[in-house]
Amino acid sequence: METTQEIDFLNILLPLLGVIFIIAISVFLLNQHFQKNLYQQKLEREELRNKHQKQLLQSNIEAQESERKRIAKDLHDELGATLSIARMHLMRLEQMHPSLESKGLSLSNVRSIIDSSIASVRQISHHLMPNQLEAFGLIRSLESMIDQINESKQIKIELNVPPSPTKFSWEKELSLYRIFMELIQNTLKHSKATKVEINYREDWENVYIEFKDNGVGLPNEMIHGLGLKNMEARIKAIGGSIEFIEGDGFTAQLKAPIENSNG
Amino acid sequence: METLAEIILKAASLPVIVTGTYALFKFRNLGSELKVFSCFIIFSLIIEVSSKIMWFMRLNNLPLLHIYVLIGFIFQIWFYAKVLERFISKKVIWTIGVLFTCFTIANSIFFESIYTFNSNALTVQSILVIILSLSTYMLFLNDIVKSETDMSLVESLNWINSGLFIYYSSSLLVFYVSDLLIENYSLVLNQYTWTIHTIFLIVMYVCFFIGLWKRPRKLIS
Repeated sequence: METTQEIDFLNILLPLLGVIFIIAISVFLLNQHFQKNLYQQKLEREELRNKHQKQLLQSNIEAQESERKRIAKDLHDELGATLSIARMHLMRLEQMHPSLESKGLSLSNVRSIIDSSIASVRQISHHLMPNQLEAFGLIRSLESMIDQINESKQIKIELNVPPSPTKFSWEKELSLYRIFMELIQNTLKHSKATKVEINYREDWENVYIEFKDNGVGLPNEMIHGLGLKNMEARIKAIGGSIEFIEGDGFTAQLKAPIENSNG
Repeated sequence: METLAEIILKAASLPVIVTGTYALFKFRNLGSELKVFSCFIIFSLIIEVSSKIMWFMRLNNLPLLHIYVLIGFIFQIWFYAKVLERFISKKVIWTIGVLFTCFTIANSIFFESIYTFNSNALTVQSILVIILSLSTYMLFLNDIVKSETDMSLVESLNWINSGLFIYYSSSLLVFYVSDLLIENYSLVLNQYTWTIHTIFLIVMYVCFFIGLWKRPRKLIS
């Protein structure tokens, strides 16, 4: 028989279990909320860090390019001009004193040395800062460079470009140009390739470039070398990516956004 | 001769007074979280002194408990809002605060008169504080939080959080079973239950004191 002293444990325990259940569920939900917020904060921090790194990279590259531009300008305008004046004086000397040649002073030799120096200064200056790129854009500059290389008959470079490719910002064109220069230089120096194919295509968002040679691939020291790292840094700075594939020859696949995502 | 239970019940005020006085003296040197919590401790000290005065004057001091539960919880939730401010929306915290305020006022007006023991409000307060303290524990276990927060502040907050958790989880059981014990068992057993409750109250204030003692000595914020 039930007495007043007897306690119906079910009636006591059920509400208590209910309270414990509410506490457990609430703690679980709050914890989920915290985790979500923490994850979001982590993502924001990562994004900020990436942005900061990208800005650093970009300003680094910009500083490098502006220094190159200055050196190229100084070489062209000052050294080039000085050499041209020297050449002019030499020519006047040749005209005024034709007898000097007969006395064993080979002025024509000196002139040819000055000529080759002027040509070298022009070449170095052009290499440092291609004026063509600014005037005609990436594709025309590449075509011109490729034509010059193809003239040597040692290697055949084929550039496949759609009829009217997008014109990028100067920074982006310069970065892509430098990457191409590095890739072509690597192929010429190390790959023993006879053929290079450059395929250029684009969609609404990105430009995709494939650089493929039929050489022996890159030597080991090149794979971790500064050249590839420079290319990676440059493409990263313009918001793109690059992938190097070793197989039959050497392949590099580039992807860069068409819109300016440097923000 | 006084029994141990009576001594414990009488000694309950001592840790409140000691911790409250310490909080009062160190208030200016504390960080924002500990400052808010010190407000709660100082408020508890004021209520404790007032209730003792009323007790000596043989006045019913239970209305003070109703005020203590409401204002005390607002300080507590303000403290948790400060501790968790980077991880939880302030709206969530303050919604809990507003809802609890409405509930406590309604409870005091319609269900449990201010001259009676407000077990409903205390039970809800205990549940909410347990939820917040357990969540704070879990948050402080996270590696990202550990790496980004001043460890001496975490240690200090952990002591306070532990004090709240220990006291309110024991209180939840006490409030829950006290009516039942009076109905089904004896008043003596009920008194023992309240003695245990007082022990947990003392433990809570000891935890608060250690939390304030271990405060970050160099202010960051």
